[in-house]
Amino acid sequence: MVNKINNYIIRKKAQMKIQQMSFMIIAVFLFLAMVGMMVITVKMADLKNSATALEEQNAMLLVTKLANSPEFSCGDTFGTARTDCIDEDKLMALKANIDKYSNFWGVTSIQIIRIYPPKANPLIRDVECTSTNYPKCNIIKLMSSSSTSFDKSNYVALCRKERYQDQFVNRCEIARLVVGYKKVQ
Amino acid sequence: MKKNKNGALEFSFAWIFAIIAGLFIIFLAIYGVTKFIGLENAAGNAESAKDIGVLMNPLESSFEALKRTMMTTPVETRIYTTCSNNSLFGEQTIRTSQKVYNKWSDEGVDVAFQNKYIFSKDPVDGKNFYLFSESFEVPFKVADLIYLTSASDKYCFLNSPNDVEQEIKALKGSIISPNENFFLFTNSVDCPDGSIKVCFKRGVRNCPIEVYTQSNFVVKDGKTMYYQGNALMYAAIFSNKEDYECQLDRLMGRAEELYKIYVEKSKFVFMKTGCDSGMGADLILLSNVMKNFQNSNDLSQIYSMSSDINTQNGNSECRLW
Repeated sequence: MVNKINNYIIRKKAQMKIQQMSFMIIAVFLFLAMVGMMVITVKMADLKNSATALEEQNAMLLVTKLANSPEFSCGDTFGTARTDCIDEDKLMALKANIDKYSNFWGVTSIQIIRIYPPKANPLIRDVECTSTNYPKCNIIKLMSSSSTSFDKSNYVALCRKERYQDQFVNRCEIARLVVGYKKVQ
Repeated sequence: MKKNKNGALEFSFAWIFAIIAGLFIIFLAIYGVTKFIGLENAAGNAESAKDIGVLMNPLESSFEALKRTMMTTPVETRIYTTCSNNSLFGEQTIRTSQKVYNKWSDEGVDVAFQNKYIFSKDPVDGKNFYLFSESFEVPFKVADLIYLTSASDKYCFLNSPNDVEQEIKALKGSIISPNENFFLFTNSVDCPDGSIKVCFKRGVRNCPIEVYTQSNFVVKDGKTMYYQGNALMYAAIFSNKEDYECQLDRLMGRAEELYKIYVEKSKFVFMKTGCDSGMGADLILLSNVMKNFQNSNDLSQIYSMSSDINTQNGNSECRLW
Protein backbone atom coordinates (compact mmCIF):
# COMPACT_ATOMS: atom_id res chain seq x y z
CA MET A 1 0.00 0.00 0.00
CA VAL A 2 2.84 2.40 1.00
CA ASN A 3 4.67 1.44 -2.19
CA LYS A 4 1.61 2.21 -4.26
CA ILE A 5 1.26 5.63 -2.61
CA ASN A 6 4.99 6.33 -3.12
CA ASN A 7 4.75 5.38 -6.83
CA TYR A 8 1.71 7.59 -7.22
CA ILE A 9 3.55 10.57 -5.62
CA ILE A 10 6.63 9.99 -7.83
CA ARG A 11 4.45 9.81 -10.97
CA LYS A 12 2.66 13.00 -9.98
CA LYS A 13 6.00 14.76 -9.31
CA ALA A 14 7.32 13.65 -12.74
CA GLN A 15 4.18 14.91 -14.46
CA MET A 16 4.54 18.25 -12.67
CA LYS A 17 8.18 18.51 -13.80
CA ILE A 18 7.21 17.80 -17.41
CA GLN A 19 4.45 20.38 -17.23
CA GLN A 20 6.87 22.93 -15.73
CA MET A 21 9.38 22.26 -18.47
CA SER A 22 6.72 22.50 -21.21
CA PHE A 23 5.56 25.85 -19.90
CA MET A 24 9.15 27.04 -19.66
CA ILE A 25 9.89 25.95 -23.24
CA ILE A 26 6.72 27.62 -24.52
CA ALA A 27 7.63 30.81 -22.60
CA VAL A 28 11.18 30.82 -24.05
CA PHE A 29 9.79 30.18 -27.54
CA LEU A 30 7.24 32.98 -27.24
CA PHE A 31 9.90 35.35 -25.88
CA LEU A 32 12.22 34.61 -28.80
CA ALA A 33 9.35 35.00 -31.28
CA MET A 34 8.43 38.38 -29.78
CA VAL A 35 12.04 39.59 -29.90
CA GLY A 36 12.24 38.40 -33.52
CA MET A 37 9.04 40.22 -34.44
CA MET A 38 10.26 43.42 -32.79
CA VAL A 39 13.53 43.26 -34.72
CA ILE A 40 11.65 42.65 -37.99
CA THR A 41 9.26 45.57 -37.29
CA VAL A 42 12.16 47.95 -36.61
CA LYS A 43 14.01 46.75 -39.70
CA MET A 44 10.89 47.09 -41.88
CA ALA A 45 10.37 50.65 -40.63
CA ASP A 46 14.03 51.39 -41.47
CA LEU A 47 13.56 49.91 -44.94
CA LYS A 48 10.43 51.99 -45.59
CA ASN A 49 12.26 55.13 -44.42
CA SER A 50 15.19 54.39 -46.75
CA ALA A 51 12.78 53.73 -49.63
CA THR A 52 11.00 57.06 -48.97
CA ALA A 53 14.38 58.82 -48.69
CA LEU A 54 15.37 57.36 -52.07
CA GLU A 55 12.06 58.55 -53.58
CA GLU A 56 12.75 62.01 -52.15
CA GLN A 57 16.29 62.00 -53.55
CA ASN A 58 14.94 60.91 -56.94
CA ALA A 59 12.36 63.73 -56.95
CA MET A 60 14.96 66.28 -55.81
CA LEU A 61 17.50 65.33 -58.48
CA LEU A 62 14.79 64.98 -61.12
CA VAL A 63 13.22 68.39 -60.51
CA THR A 64 16.54 70.10 -61.17
CA LYS A 65 16.99 68.31 -64.48
CA LEU A 66 13.47 67.63 -65.74
CA ALA A 67 13.14 70.97 -67.51
CA ASN A 68 16.10 69.98 -69.72
CA SER A 69 14.71 66.59 -70.70
CA PRO A 70 13.59 66.22 -74.36
CA GLU A 71 9.86 66.12 -73.51
CA PHE A 72 10.04 69.51 -71.76
CA SER A 73 13.03 71.48 -73.00
CA CYS A 74 12.91 74.52 -75.28
CA GLY A 75 15.85 73.30 -77.38
CA ASP A 76 16.63 75.92 -80.04
CA THR A 77 12.93 76.79 -80.57
CA PHE A 78 13.29 80.25 -79.07
CA GLY A 79 16.66 81.19 -80.55
CA THR A 80 19.63 79.71 -78.74
CA ALA A 81 19.63 76.75 -76.35
CA ARG A 82 18.63 77.69 -72.81
CA THR A 83 18.90 75.76 -69.57
CA ASP A 84 15.85 75.23 -67.33
CA CYS A 85 13.55 76.42 -70.07
CA ILE A 86 10.25 74.64 -70.70
CA ASP A 87 8.51 74.83 -74.08
CA GLU A 88 4.90 75.52 -73.06
CA ASP A 89 3.45 74.61 -76.49
CA LYS A 90 5.27 71.26 -76.38
CA LEU A 91 4.03 70.76 -72.83
CA MET A 92 0.41 71.11 -73.99
CA ALA A 93 1.10 68.54 -76.73
CA LEU A 94 2.69 66.26 -74.11
CA LYS A 95 -0.35 66.70 -71.85
CA ALA A 96 -2.49 65.18 -74.61
CA ASN A 97 -0.26 62.06 -74.63
CA ILE A 98 0.64 61.91 -70.94
CA ASP A 99 -1.03 58.56 -70.20
CA LYS A 100 1.87 56.85 -72.00
CA TYR A 101 4.32 58.46 -69.57
CA SER A 102 2.65 57.42 -66.30
CA ASN A 103 5.66 55.42 -65.02
CA PHE A 104 8.32 57.11 -67.10
CA TRP A 105 9.89 59.46 -64.55
CA GLY A 106 9.12 57.40 -61.44
CA VAL A 107 7.21 60.20 -59.68
CA THR A 108 3.53 60.53 -58.83
CA SER A 109 2.79 64.07 -60.02
CA ILE A 110 4.26 66.78 -62.24
CA GLN A 111 2.79 70.25 -62.50
CA ILE A 112 3.94 73.62 -63.73
CA ILE A 113 2.60 76.72 -62.00
CA ARG A 114 2.98 80.09 -63.72
CA ILE A 115 4.11 82.59 -61.08
CA TYR A 116 5.16 85.62 -63.10
CA PRO A 117 3.39 87.67 -64.36
CA PRO A 118 1.20 87.19 -61.27
CA LYS A 119 -2.57 86.74 -61.38
CA ALA A 120 -4.51 90.03 -61.56
CA ASN A 121 -6.25 89.15 -58.33
CA PRO A 122 -4.43 86.79 -55.94
CA LEU A 123 -7.78 85.68 -54.52
CA ILE A 124 -8.86 84.20 -57.85
CA ARG A 125 -8.51 80.43 -57.91
CA ASP A 126 -5.81 78.77 -60.06
CA VAL A 127 -7.04 77.99 -63.55
CA GLU A 128 -5.90 74.68 -65.00
CA CYS A 129 -4.75 74.85 -68.62
CA THR A 130 -6.73 72.98 -71.26
CA SER A 131 -6.50 73.20 -75.05
CA THR A 132 -9.50 75.58 -75.01
CA ASN A 133 -8.38 78.12 -72.37
CA TYR A 134 -4.62 78.03 -73.08
CA PRO A 135 -2.68 80.31 -72.49
CA LYS A 136 -5.20 82.15 -70.28
CA CYS A 137 -4.53 79.83 -67.37
CA ASN A 138 -1.82 79.45 -64.77
CA ILE A 139 -1.39 75.78 -63.92
CA ILE A 140 -0.53 72.86 -66.17
CA LYS A 141 -1.20 69.54 -64.47
CA LEU A 142 0.73 66.97 -66.44
CA MET A 143 0.34 64.15 -63.97
CA SER A 144 -1.56 64.20 -60.71
CA SER A 145 -2.21 61.54 -58.13
CA SER A 146 -3.98 61.40 -54.79
CA SER A 147 -1.12 59.27 -53.45
CA THR A 148 1.33 62.20 -53.61
CA SER A 149 2.66 62.82 -50.10
CA PHE A 150 5.52 65.26 -50.63
CA ASP A 151 6.86 67.47 -53.40
CA LYS A 152 9.99 69.23 -54.57
CA SER A 153 10.05 72.27 -56.81
CA ASN A 154 12.35 74.35 -58.99
CA TYR A 155 12.04 77.66 -60.82
CA VAL A 156 12.00 77.51 -64.63
CA ALA A 157 11.40 79.72 -67.64
CA LEU A 158 8.14 78.94 -69.48
CA CYS A 159 8.27 79.98 -73.13
CA ARG A 160 5.73 79.88 -75.96
CA LYS A 161 5.13 81.28 -79.46
CA GLU A 162 2.62 84.09 -79.78
CA ARG A 163 1.29 86.26 -82.54
CA TYR A 164 1.79 89.96 -81.94
CA GLN A 165 0.87 92.57 -84.58
CA ASP A 166 1.20 90.09 -87.47
CA GLN A 167 4.51 88.86 -86.18
CA PHE A 168 5.46 85.65 -84.40
CA VAL A 169 7.17 86.41 -81.12
CA ASN A 170 8.62 84.37 -78.27
CA ARG A 171 7.06 85.01 -74.88
CA CYS A 172 8.81 83.76 -71.75
CA GLU A 173 7.45 83.83 -68.21
CA ILE A 174 8.55 82.46 -64.83
CA ALA A 175 7.07 79.26 -63.46
CA ARG A 176 7.57 76.71 -60.72
CA LEU A 177 8.02 73.08 -61.70
CA VAL A 178 6.63 70.85 -58.94
CA VAL A 179 7.39 67.12 -58.76
CA GLY A 180 5.48 64.97 -56.26
CA TYR A 181 6.40 61.62 -54.77
CA LYS A 182 4.71 59.26 -52.37
CA LYS A 183 5.68 57.96 -48.97
CA VAL A 184 6.43 54.24 -49.09
CA GLN A 185 3.80 52.51 -46.91
CA MET B 1 19.74 11.30 -16.59
CA LYS B 2 21.25 8.47 -14.62
CA LYS B 3 23.08 5.15 -15.03
CA ASN B 4 21.10 1.93 -14.58
CA LYS B 5 22.27 -1.24 -12.84
CA ASN B 6 24.15 -2.39 -15.96
CA GLY B 7 25.97 0.97 -16.20
CA ALA B 8 24.06 2.09 -19.31
CA LEU B 9 22.94 5.73 -19.58
CA GLU B 10 19.23 6.11 -18.95
CA PHE B 11 17.27 9.16 -20.15
CA SER B 12 14.11 10.19 -18.41
CA PHE B 13 11.19 11.42 -20.56
CA ALA B 14 11.83 14.99 -19.29
CA TRP B 15 15.36 14.95 -20.75
CA ILE B 16 14.27 13.54 -24.08
CA PHE B 17 11.50 16.16 -24.29
CA ALA B 18 13.89 19.01 -23.37
CA ILE B 19 16.46 17.89 -25.97
CA ILE B 20 13.89 17.56 -28.78
CA ALA B 21 12.22 20.89 -27.95
CA GLY B 22 15.63 22.60 -27.56
CA LEU B 23 16.81 21.27 -30.92
CA PHE B 24 13.57 22.48 -32.53
CA ILE B 25 14.00 25.97 -31.06
CA ILE B 26 17.68 26.15 -32.08
CA PHE B 27 16.83 24.94 -35.59
CA LEU B 28 14.08 27.57 -35.90
CA ALA B 29 16.39 30.30 -34.60
CA ILE B 30 19.18 29.37 -37.04
CA TYR B 31 16.71 29.15 -39.93
CA GLY B 32 15.19 32.52 -38.98
CA VAL B 33 18.57 34.26 -38.66
CA THR B 34 19.77 32.82 -42.01
CA LYS B 35 16.59 33.99 -43.73
CA PHE B 36 16.89 37.39 -42.05
CA ILE B 37 20.51 37.84 -43.17
CA GLY B 38 19.49 36.86 -46.72
CA LEU B 39 16.65 39.39 -46.60
CA GLU B 40 18.98 42.08 -45.28
CA ASN B 41 21.46 41.39 -48.09
CA ALA B 42 18.68 41.50 -50.69
CA ALA B 43 17.35 44.76 -49.23
CA GLY B 44 20.87 46.25 -49.20
CA ASN B 45 21.45 45.18 -52.81
CA ALA B 46 18.07 46.59 -53.90
CA GLU B 47 18.80 49.85 -52.08
CA SER B 48 22.20 50.23 -53.73
CA ALA B 49 20.71 49.44 -57.17
CA LYS B 50 18.04 52.13 -56.70
CA ASP B 51 20.71 54.48 -55.33
CA ILE B 52 22.88 53.99 -58.43
CA GLY B 53 19.87 54.70 -60.67
CA VAL B 54 18.90 57.82 -58.73
CA LEU B 55 22.49 59.09 -58.73
CA MET B 56 22.45 58.86 -62.52
CA ASN B 57 19.73 61.55 -62.68
CA PRO B 58 22.20 64.45 -62.80
CA LEU B 59 23.95 62.78 -65.73
CA GLU B 60 20.79 63.00 -67.78
CA SER B 61 19.43 66.14 -69.33
CA SER B 62 22.78 67.68 -68.69
CA PHE B 63 24.29 70.44 -70.71
CA GLU B 64 27.70 69.47 -69.41
CA ALA B 65 28.87 66.90 -71.91
CA LEU B 66 32.26 65.21 -71.80
CA LYS B 67 32.57 65.21 -68.05
CA ARG B 68 33.30 62.02 -66.21
CA THR B 69 32.09 61.33 -62.69
CA MET B 70 33.50 58.75 -60.34
CA MET B 71 31.17 56.65 -58.23
CA THR B 72 32.72 54.82 -55.29
CA THR B 73 30.92 52.04 -53.44
CA PRO B 74 31.68 51.12 -49.79
CA VAL B 75 32.43 47.50 -50.68
CA GLU B 76 33.33 45.79 -53.91
CA THR B 77 30.14 45.73 -55.97
CA ARG B 78 28.99 43.92 -59.05
CA ILE B 79 26.46 45.87 -61.14
CA TYR B 80 24.21 43.97 -63.51
CA THR B 81 22.44 46.06 -66.15
CA THR B 82 19.69 44.53 -68.24
CA CYS B 83 17.63 46.00 -71.04
CA SER B 84 14.11 44.94 -71.90
CA ASN B 85 12.04 46.34 -74.75
CA ASN B 86 8.69 44.66 -74.10
CA SER B 87 6.76 47.85 -73.31
CA LEU B 88 6.44 51.22 -75.09
CA PHE B 89 9.59 52.76 -73.56
CA GLY B 90 11.14 49.48 -72.42
CA GLU B 91 13.05 49.24 -69.16
CA GLN B 92 16.57 49.54 -67.90
CA THR B 93 17.01 47.31 -64.90
CA ILE B 94 19.84 47.50 -62.42
CA ARG B 95 20.68 44.94 -59.77
CA THR B 96 23.73 44.61 -57.60
CA SER B 97 25.64 42.05 -55.66
CA GLN B 98 28.24 42.84 -53.03
CA LYS B 99 31.38 41.05 -52.00
CA VAL B 100 31.03 39.85 -48.41
CA TYR B 101 33.86 37.80 -46.86
CA ASN B 102 35.44 37.34 -50.29
CA LYS B 103 32.23 35.86 -51.70
CA TRP B 104 29.67 37.52 -53.96
CA SER B 105 26.28 37.77 -52.29
CA ASP B 106 23.12 36.72 -54.14
CA GLU B 107 21.97 39.26 -56.73
CA GLY B 108 19.41 41.69 -55.37
CA VAL B 109 16.03 42.38 -56.92
CA ASP B 110 15.75 44.20 -60.25
CA VAL B 111 15.19 47.94 -59.94
CA ALA B 112 13.62 49.22 -63.16
CA PHE B 113 13.85 52.64 -64.80
CA GLN B 114 12.04 53.62 -68.00
CA ASN B 115 14.02 56.81 -68.61
CA LYS B 116 17.57 55.46 -68.39
CA TYR B 117 19.87 53.99 -71.03
CA ILE B 118 23.03 52.45 -69.58
CA PHE B 119 25.79 51.00 -71.72
CA SER B 120 28.29 48.85 -69.87
CA LYS B 121 29.87 45.45 -69.59
CA ASP B 122 27.41 43.07 -67.95
CA PRO B 123 28.18 42.56 -65.13
CA VAL B 124 30.69 45.29 -64.32
CA ASP B 125 32.44 44.99 -60.99
CA GLY B 126 34.77 46.95 -58.78
CA LYS B 127 34.81 49.60 -56.07
CA ASN B 128 35.32 52.62 -58.30
CA PHE B 129 33.18 53.24 -61.35
CA TYR B 130 33.37 55.94 -64.00
CA LEU B 131 30.20 57.43 -65.48
CA PHE B 132 29.81 59.79 -68.38
CA SER B 133 27.03 60.67 -70.78
CA GLU B 134 26.45 61.88 -74.31
CA SER B 135 23.20 62.91 -75.89
CA PHE B 136 21.52 60.89 -78.61
CA GLU B 137 19.85 63.04 -81.28
CA VAL B 138 17.60 62.23 -84.28
CA PRO B 139 17.85 65.25 -84.93
CA PHE B 140 16.47 66.64 -81.64
CA LYS B 141 17.73 65.23 -78.38
CA VAL B 142 16.01 61.97 -77.49
CA ALA B 143 17.97 60.94 -74.39
CA ASP B 144 21.32 61.01 -72.67
CA LEU B 145 23.19 57.76 -73.02
CA ILE B 146 25.03 56.77 -69.86
CA TYR B 147 28.31 54.88 -70.09
CA LEU B 148 29.38 52.92 -67.03
CA THR B 149 32.88 51.47 -66.73
CA SER B 150 34.80 50.03 -63.81
CA ALA B 151 38.14 51.61 -62.93
CA SER B 152 39.57 48.08 -62.92
CA ASP B 153 38.62 47.56 -66.60
CA LYS B 154 41.29 49.40 -68.58
CA TYR B 155 40.42 50.47 -72.12
CA CYS B 156 43.27 51.16 -74.52
CA PHE B 157 42.17 53.27 -77.50
CA LEU B 158 44.59 52.63 -80.37
CA ASN B 159 45.01 55.07 -83.29
CA SER B 160 41.75 56.85 -82.46
CA PRO B 161 40.67 59.61 -84.86
CA ASN B 162 41.19 63.20 -83.81
CA ASP B 163 37.64 63.89 -82.58
CA VAL B 164 37.56 60.72 -80.44
CA GLU B 165 41.03 61.50 -79.08
CA GLN B 166 39.93 65.01 -78.07
CA GLU B 167 36.81 63.63 -76.38
CA ILE B 168 38.74 60.98 -74.44
CA LYS B 169 41.31 63.59 -73.39
CA ALA B 170 38.49 65.87 -72.20
CA LEU B 171 36.95 62.98 -70.24
CA LYS B 172 40.27 62.10 -68.62
CA GLY B 173 40.82 65.69 -67.56
CA SER B 174 44.15 67.30 -66.79
CA ILE B 175 44.82 65.48 -63.50
CA ILE B 176 46.14 61.93 -63.89
CA SER B 177 44.23 59.65 -61.54
CA PRO B 178 45.69 56.35 -60.23
CA ASN B 179 42.28 54.84 -61.12
CA GLU B 180 42.48 56.00 -64.75
CA ASN B 181 41.00 53.42 -67.09
CA PHE B 182 41.14 55.18 -70.49
CA PHE B 183 44.44 55.18 -72.38
CA LEU B 184 45.30 56.62 -75.77
CA PHE B 185 48.15 55.07 -77.72
CA THR B 186 49.24 54.46 -81.29
CA ASN B 187 51.10 51.24 -80.61
CA SER B 188 49.51 48.23 -78.90
CA VAL B 189 52.71 47.36 -76.99
CA ASP B 190 52.24 50.56 -74.95
CA CYS B 191 48.82 49.43 -73.67
CA PRO B 192 48.70 48.45 -69.96
CA ASP B 193 48.74 44.72 -69.22
CA GLY B 194 45.28 43.15 -69.30
CA SER B 195 43.71 46.19 -70.92
CA ILE B 196 40.90 45.89 -73.46
CA LYS B 197 42.16 47.13 -76.83
CA VAL B 198 39.85 49.33 -78.89
CA CYS B 199 41.37 49.49 -82.37
CA PHE B 200 40.53 52.14 -84.91
CA LYS B 201 43.03 50.83 -87.44
CA ARG B 202 43.09 47.42 -89.09
CA GLY B 203 45.95 44.97 -88.63
CA VAL B 204 46.31 45.01 -84.84
CA ARG B 205 46.50 41.47 -83.47
CA ASN B 206 44.33 40.27 -80.58
CA CYS B 207 41.97 43.17 -80.80
CA PRO B 208 38.59 42.37 -79.18
CA ILE B 209 36.96 45.65 -80.25
CA GLU B 210 37.45 47.02 -83.76
CA VAL B 211 35.93 50.34 -84.81
CA TYR B 212 35.43 51.08 -88.51
CA THR B 213 34.88 54.83 -88.60
CA GLN B 214 34.53 55.03 -92.40
CA SER B 215 31.73 52.46 -92.54
CA ASN B 216 30.29 53.33 -89.10
CA PHE B 217 30.35 49.95 -87.42
CA VAL B 218 31.99 48.27 -84.45
CA VAL B 219 32.97 44.60 -84.33
CA LYS B 220 32.99 43.20 -80.80
CA ASP B 221 33.26 39.50 -79.96
CA GLY B 222 32.81 38.81 -83.67
CA LYS B 223 29.45 40.62 -83.77
CA THR B 224 28.77 43.74 -85.81
CA MET B 225 27.00 46.79 -84.40
CA TYR B 226 26.23 49.74 -86.69
CA TYR B 227 26.32 53.28 -85.34
CA GLN B 228 25.87 56.92 -86.29
CA GLY B 229 27.65 59.58 -84.27
CA ASN B 230 30.13 59.20 -81.42
CA ALA B 231 27.40 58.70 -78.76
CA LEU B 232 26.38 55.40 -80.35
CA MET B 233 29.98 54.48 -81.14
CA TYR B 234 30.84 54.56 -77.39
CA ALA B 235 27.62 52.66 -76.69
CA ALA B 236 28.74 49.86 -79.03
CA ILE B 237 32.25 49.84 -77.54
CA PHE B 238 31.13 49.51 -73.90
CA SER B 239 28.13 47.20 -74.20
CA ASN B 240 27.39 43.93 -75.95
CA LYS B 241 25.44 43.35 -79.17
CA GLU B 242 22.18 42.20 -77.46
CA ASP B 243 22.04 45.14 -75.03
CA TYR B 244 23.07 47.63 -77.73
CA GLU B 245 20.29 46.56 -80.11
CA CYS B 246 17.75 46.46 -77.27
CA GLN B 247 18.67 49.97 -76.06
CA LEU B 248 18.52 51.28 -79.65
CA ASP B 249 15.03 49.84 -79.96
CA ARG B 250 14.01 51.59 -76.71
CA LEU B 251 15.54 54.85 -77.94
CA MET B 252 13.62 54.62 -81.20
CA GLY B 253 10.43 54.02 -79.20
CA ARG B 254 11.05 57.25 -77.28
CA ALA B 255 11.96 59.09 -80.49
CA GLU B 256 8.69 57.88 -82.07
CA GLU B 257 6.69 59.34 -79.18
CA LEU B 258 8.67 62.60 -79.36
CA TYR B 259 7.88 62.83 -83.09
CA LYS B 260 4.18 62.39 -82.22
CA ILE B 261 4.49 65.19 -79.65
CA TYR B 262 6.05 67.45 -82.31
CA VAL B 263 3.19 66.60 -84.70
CA GLU B 264 0.73 67.69 -81.98
CA LYS B 265 2.79 70.78 -81.21
CA SER B 266 2.92 71.73 -84.88
CA LYS B 267 -0.91 71.54 -85.10
CA PHE B 268 -1.33 73.34 -81.78
CA VAL B 269 0.94 76.26 -82.69
CA PHE B 270 -0.72 76.57 -86.10
CA MET B 271 -4.20 76.69 -84.54
CA LYS B 272 -3.12 79.22 -81.92
CA THR B 273 -0.90 81.56 -83.93
CA GLY B 274 -1.36 80.60 -87.59
CA CYS B 275 2.34 79.83 -87.85
CA ASP B 276 2.85 76.68 -89.92
CA SER B 277 6.10 74.76 -89.57
CA GLY B 278 5.26 72.89 -92.81
CA MET B 279 6.73 69.68 -91.45
CA GLY B 280 3.57 67.80 -90.40
CA ALA B 281 3.76 65.11 -93.11
CA ASP B 282 7.50 64.57 -92.68
CA LEU B 283 7.14 64.26 -88.92
CA ILE B 284 4.48 61.56 -89.32
CA LEU B 285 6.70 59.77 -91.85
CA LEU B 286 9.68 59.77 -89.47
CA SER B 287 7.49 58.66 -86.60
CA ASN B 288 6.52 55.62 -88.71
CA VAL B 289 10.15 54.97 -89.64
CA MET B 290 11.01 54.90 -85.93
CA LYS B 291 8.09 52.55 -85.29
CA ASN B 292 9.35 50.11 -87.92
CA PHE B 293 12.93 50.14 -86.62
CA GLN B 294 14.42 46.65 -86.79
CA ASN B 295 18.10 46.88 -85.90
CA SER B 296 21.19 49.12 -86.05
CA ASN B 297 21.39 48.48 -89.80
CA ASP B 298 18.48 50.96 -90.21
CA LEU B 299 20.40 53.81 -88.57
CA SER B 300 21.96 55.29 -91.71
CA GLN B 301 18.51 55.76 -93.33
CA ILE B 302 17.09 57.30 -90.13
CA TYR B 303 20.02 59.70 -89.81
CA SER B 304 19.78 60.78 -93.42
CA MET B 305 16.02 61.49 -93.06
CA SER B 306 16.44 63.22 -89.71
CA SER B 307 19.21 65.41 -91.14
CA ASP B 308 16.81 66.57 -93.90
CA ILE B 309 14.03 67.37 -91.46
CA ASN B 310 16.49 69.24 -89.25
CA THR B 311 17.36 71.51 -92.18
CA GLN B 312 13.63 72.18 -92.71
CA ASN B 313 13.20 72.99 -89.02
CA GLY B 314 16.17 75.37 -89.08
CA ASN B 315 14.66 77.28 -92.00
CA SER B 316 11.16 77.40 -90.51
CA GLU B 317 9.77 80.59 -89.00
CA CYS B 318 8.24 78.52 -86.21
CA ARG B 319 10.88 76.05 -85.19
CA LEU B 320 9.58 72.99 -83.41
CA TRP B 321 12.87 72.09 -81.65
